[in-house]
Amino acid sequence: MMSLPFVLFACGLGAAWLRQREVALGFWTAGLVVLLALFRAHYGDALNIAL
Amino acid sequence: MPSDLSRLLNALGLVAIDTLLALAFIDQLWFRDLPCPVCILQRAAFIAAGFGIALNLVLGPRPSHYGVTILGAVAGGAIALRQMLLYIVPGSGSYGNEVFGMHLYSWAFIGFVVIVVGAAIMLFYDRQFGRGEPLSSRLDALTLTALVTFAVVAVGNIFSTLFLCGLGFCPEAPVGYVL
Repeated sequence: MMSLPFVLFACGLGAAWLRQREVALGFWTAGLVVLLALFRAHYGDALNIAL
Repeated sequence: MPSDLSRLLNALGLVAIDTLLALAFIDQLWFRDLPCPVCILQRAAFIAAGFGIALNLVLGPRPSHYGVTILGAVAGGAIALRQMLLYIVPGSGSYGNEVFGMHLYSWAFIGFVVIVVGAAIMLFYDRQFGRGEPLSSRLDALTLTALVTFAVVAVGNIFSTLFLCGLGFCPEAPVGYVL
């Protein structure tokens, strides 16, 4: 799951190399959305503050 | 700005991001400093930001490519800032090794800010957008090295994250590799 953004960005790089700009931007957008969703899932990690 | 100078600055920017990601790998593999889940997301955000620079180098400079870079860096900056705030209360600890007196997430935040400022400055130079010539038609050694290294670190992070977390979510403070 955590490697999914890297997979999507790597696919986007491959599409860019093949001059498929729209496909590349699509992979990038999907990667960013997954990245932000994973950030939301880990938002409170290590919040272990004893007051 | 002549397109040659634009290409050089984009290539140098991508080399800088490559270097940051390579240093993170060195810290992980050499110093056994395993990345936390949010640290991994910051690496992904560096790749999201560098993606726009790579598009400039392969397809030619466009304002939208700088937008890609800025959005990726803003996302990464938010993630790094969140991690800094997690540990800002005295006695709340920290995560990972220090490098030159600051933790990697603090350096990452500075890196993301520099990327946003750099991309914004590059957007001022309108002449680079005029020719619409794909820069990859004249790839020099620096550009090719930057692109290949960027692809290698992106793919390397896929395997690194798989070994560290498997197919699910990562533990909050990983102590070893799952695979």
